[in-house]
Amino acid sequence: MFTMVVLRRRVEAVIRDMINTLFRTGRSGVLNTAMDFSCSITDDSLRTVSTALGLPVHVGAIELIPKAVKEKFGDDIRPGDCFANNSGYHGNTHCGDFTLCAPVYFEGELVFFTIARAHLGDMGFPTPTTYGPLSRDVYEEGLKLPCVRIQRDNSDVQEVVDICKANIRAPEQFYGDYIATLAAVRTGEAGMQKICAQYGIGTVRKFLTQFQDYARDMAIDAIRQLPAGRVRREAFYDSETDLYPDGIPVRATIEVDPVEGLVTVDLLDNVDNLPLGINLTEATMTASCLIAVLTVLGPDVPRCTGSFSRVRILSREGAAIGRPKHPAATSAATSNLTQLLCPLVRSAFSELKSGLGSACGTIGLPGSCAVVSGVDPRHDNRPFVNQIIMGYWGGPGLHGHDGWFTHGSSGSNGALWQSSVEMVEQQQPVLVERLEIAVDSGGAGEWNGSPGAFCIFRSRTDNIRYTANTAGHDFPPFGAAGGWAGGRNDSWWEDKAGERRALPNSLDVTLNTGEKLVSQACGGGGYGDPLDRDPARVAEDVQEGWISLERAHRIHGVVLKTRGEFVAVDTEATQRLRDELLERQPVVVTTARRLETSH
Amino acid sequence: MTYELSADVGGTFTDLVLRSDGAQIDIFKASTTPANIADGILNGIAGIAKSLDLDTATFLGRCDSFAVGTTIATNAILEGKQAKTGLLCTDGFRDTLLIREGGKADSYDFYVDYPPPYIPRRLTLGVRERVNAEGGVEIALDEADARRAIRRLKEYGVEAVAVSLLWSIVNPDHELRIGALIEEEMPGVPYSLGHQVNPSIREYRRTSAVAIDASLKPLVQKRIGEISERLAASGFKGVLTFIASSGGRTSPAEIVSRPISLCLSGPSAAPQAGCRLSRQEGVTKGNVLTTDMGGTSFEVSVSVDWKTPMHREGMIGDHMFGIPSVEVKTIGAGGGSIARVDAGGFIHVGPESAGAMPGPACYGRGGTRPTVTDANLVRGLLLPGHFAGGQIELDVGAAERAIAEHVATPLGLGLMEAAELVCLVAEQNMIAAIQDITIRRGVDPRQFVLVSGGAAGGLHAGTIARELGIAQVLIPRAAGVLSAYGIMTGEIKMGFARSLFTSSERFDYEGVNTILAGLRQEGVAFLDRMAVEPSKRVLRYSVEARYAGQVWQISLAFEKDRIEPADLPGLVESFHQLHETFYAVRSPGERVEFTEWSLDAVGTASEGGLESASLSAADASGALLTTSRAWLKDAGGEIDLPVYDGSRLRPGNVIEGPALVQEIVTANFIPFGAQGRVTEQRGLMLTLPIDEAKRLAA
Repeated sequence: MFTMVVLRRRVEAVIRDMINTLFRTGRSGVLNTAMDFSCSITDDSLRTVSTALGLPVHVGAIELIPKAVKEKFGDDIRPGDCFANNSGYHGNTHCGDFTLCAPVYFEGELVFFTIARAHLGDMGFPTPTTYGPLSRDVYEEGLKLPCVRIQRDNSDVQEVVDICKANIRAPEQFYGDYIATLAAVRTGEAGMQKICAQYGIGTVRKFLTQFQDYARDMAIDAIRQLPAGRVRREAFYDSETDLYPDGIPVRATIEVDPVEGLVTVDLLDNVDNLPLGINLTEATMTASCLIAVLTVLGPDVPRCTGSFSRVRILSREGAAIGRPKHPAATSAATSNLTQLLCPLVRSAFSELKSGLGSACGTIGLPGSCAVVSGVDPRHDNRPFVNQIIMGYWGGPGLHGHDGWFTHGSSGSNGALWQSSVEMVEQQQPVLVERLEIAVDSGGAGEWNGSPGAFCIFRSRTDNIRYTANTAGHDFPPFGAAGGWAGGRNDSWWEDKAGERRALPNSLDVTLNTGEKLVSQACGGGGYGDPLDRDPARVAEDVQEGWISLERAHRIHGVVLKTRGEFVAVDTEATQRLRDELLERQPVVVTTARRLETSH
Repeated sequence: MTYELSADVGGTFTDLVLRSDGAQIDIFKASTTPANIADGILNGIAGIAKSLDLDTATFLGRCDSFAVGTTIATNAILEGKQAKTGLLCTDGFRDTLLIREGGKADSYDFYVDYPPPYIPRRLTLGVRERVNAEGGVEIALDEADARRAIRRLKEYGVEAVAVSLLWSIVNPDHELRIGALIEEEMPGVPYSLGHQVNPSIREYRRTSAVAIDASLKPLVQKRIGEISERLAASGFKGVLTFIASSGGRTSPAEIVSRPISLCLSGPSAAPQAGCRLSRQEGVTKGNVLTTDMGGTSFEVSVSVDWKTPMHREGMIGDHMFGIPSVEVKTIGAGGGSIARVDAGGFIHVGPESAGAMPGPACYGRGGTRPTVTDANLVRGLLLPGHFAGGQIELDVGAAERAIAEHVATPLGLGLMEAAELVCLVAEQNMIAAIQDITIRRGVDPRQFVLVSGGAAGGLHAGTIARELGIAQVLIPRAAGVLSAYGIMTGEIKMGFARSLFTSSERFDYEGVNTILAGLRQEGVAFLDRMAVEPSKRVLRYSVEARYAGQVWQISLAFEKDRIEPADLPGLVESFHQLHETFYAVRSPGERVEFTEWSLDAVGTASEGGLESASLSAADASGALLTTSRAWLKDAGGEIDLPVYDGSRLRPGNVIEGPALVQEIVTANFIPFGAQGRVTEQRGLMLTLPIDEAKRLAA
């Protein structure tokens, strides 16, 4: 126990050190403002040690990266090597995530891998974005680094760096990000070697085994608190293919076995790979299921191989919700369908026992999270390409809590940072005209989803290109346990005369001076019946301007009185109204459904 | 005889330090009177006067200075007792305080509520206006709209107003005009403007700072006024100062006009206390880790070359106050931290604390869960009859029961092993905090001396240091009142800042030099107001700088008060060096961007005389008090641990570890293999075996 306490802290300190290095030195906006990167460590048998500090979708299955290194290079790995990977067919999440992995040697023996994964502003996609929801196959997704050596003997393999620079729009920004990511894996390498020197490799190895056993036991204990049962659910995703004119179905079945301490997530019954870039990769499919189950098990269960072993995932190669079959496109695998699958699995728990699980958070990345590119006349026409993370809200309601305001989607669970308006305007010739809560956009429930953002970008120069992979327009984030769906996503192009034209989900628009991108993002789904919401909370929602009086009345059945700045409940009138509403046929506005439940 | 006095007014105790004739230091404690802290201060002063056989008026009449640190601002924010405050912002951006900056401590922890904004949305009103990133006016200020908003706040009965507009740091005209309109519409109601309170980029930090500042104005004005008046009425004629977030002392008038600078007042003085005490003990390198372990929390700061870094991310509760503050890291690890074993058989200590009520199980006040204090008692490092000056008789049986039930039994360990494990986990948490803050600064803790403060620190500092490879630990005599000591000896200081974005490629010499001249003028005016004599004046300039494309700046100090073309290469090179120190990489030849220019106007403090003591022989046996039956893993299990009476130890005495030194209110532990020496200033200097330290850090 003594060494376990000490070594757990030591390893966490090394990962923190890696993260700090990357955060402060990275160049892309998504890196250094949004913290869209993760660092991790596995041992030589690919067991992860701790993922407490990364972006959930990044680290849920990060061991696939060193797995690819071992499979591809076998004995041809040596100290001073570093491998680069952005390929969904080699264990990576999606092509925008640039992942470096270095082997760590101690006394001549390979003992660890350190891994840093960074979402870059540009990764050589054919258009200036890092997501291609409309890509038909992998060949439309630009530069691929299928697990290649980028350093040997601690020096760059120049050819690989040259290929990257030749394919990536902002080569200097890329090189800065590469150096920052490399510094992170090298920092981790030095840190782990120091731990081995200090405590001896035998002790460290023993700790790793003990820690996995501990995490496994914690997971088993948490699963034993759950009721046994099986739930099958289905939700729909906005279709951008003729194959599914009425929406793309996403299905998941969970089965909880408290005796064995095992949760099974069955994804076999899903559609084939789509001619779109939203197919999941093995990494994001696995991470989505693990995030869903582990968030239900609670924050005390460590997130590492030991606890992950208590989640059995059944998936199929060639399924959109599964493992991709070459050459299916996967460039939007960390967003879109991932953001629906994870909450769908989590919401299934709400049917096992009331109070469990959650509704759905934001799906897709709204227009206010566009990748913006062009040249900046304020700085000698310097080219820029950056993803903004703004107005990425829409947290799902869950029992006892309204949605976490800056949740965004399930891939980040609130871990992403939000861009500052002033930083965005300093770094791009874009003016943010407005960024506020869209009133009534949070899904109604006993516990409300958090609202979406209403945001307007105005170009301050000609030819600024905005691309975004929005979703949740036809099928906004679903509610759970009787909660209503969140508000839908909309995007418009507004011309100089003020006229608005609706933009498609996968938007790609070039706006000249004075033209605007107007974005209203999804709100999170609600949890529980809106008529059960505490009237005092409804009064506060209206008082603080989150919802309208009309919604309070019609959906929550609460009658309110306004006095100056304050809004109070008319208790008697509320009781009468609620009784009246209860007698009517319940109308639940939501977009997911139960297919089957058994206890 | 002349006196200097300082007070650190905490939530429970008011610590006072008295310096007589510039040298001799005495320490006092009084109870804090939360309703009106002036009462507690005056009670403490009366106590000191009495101990000197003087009446209060005579004593205060002989005090040249009185320096105060106070948690009134911190506590008002934590307890929601600030004024009802309205916020005026740029139309379309009412949610800046709600959105914050994103991020979440644990993205897997779903069952938590999102913190409410510092100022409620209903009291946050947009005003039609807009300035762009270059300071150009996109939308002129709509004065009618502004008046409408101000009148609405008036109707709502707000007691203070904060104004925070986008880009006011580049063009403050609209904020200034709204300030004038507030004076017209709501005369007498205090207000604060964003570009004046925290002139830095990022709307959340600036808005949060100005909101906090405005909301504190009525309260701080009242409290500071009370203290000044009560002191004057009681005969004090010297200089009254308050310690600010920056760790510097400033006048009551400056505090009243910018009350946000009282955030973290008190703890902000600990690092300089650590530095000064180390210097007095002959430490020469200036690399000091100052720690303070109390009942519920552990605080650590890192000073390099006697300088403690500042940061702009200081938090109180859920709210960032944004202005430059001494970087102090706090974690929930103290004597009262509770140990528990989870379902997987892993032990955790803290952050949950037993507090003062019920307190540790051994207090006998109804607590049944084991704490760090219980563990120290069980393993024999605390003597039951000597705790807190003998005020509490510790119940060994209760501590043993708590450790046995909640730690030893679930883990299948012996009682002593379990007790030591609890301490080890707490120590590991503190080590992690020290590593975190040193990593962030790019420094190696092995090069540092560790100064241990706080009632609970002395039992753990040696072990922590050994684990980190630190060879020297100083437990000063003022360990229990470290902040009050730092307040007494702190320098006079006030920071001034302006934003100007420029880069190394197209450096705006004229703009920068205009700003530097303005800052200099403000700084000199402050030093004039504080009546700082010329020989003690220092102006310290710095600039926030980054590589192009980065969004996080680092603070770069520079010497000159003008920057000419010949100076630029030196400034740029020093940025490359600093970046390499922090992050191990540099990008030579790359454009460096500069965003914010600052000046600290400083009146340096006098070193103060040292106590002169004749050194005694090394032999400490004359001070041997007793032995304690203790259990120490690295000493081979159960041993008879010698316990020395701190009050009988003489400068020059040397004690070989393992041993315990019992002071009046605290106990200090000298680990196995270490040596403790009583210093000339009557502190305890531990020397850890350096080869051992080297081995651990290899």
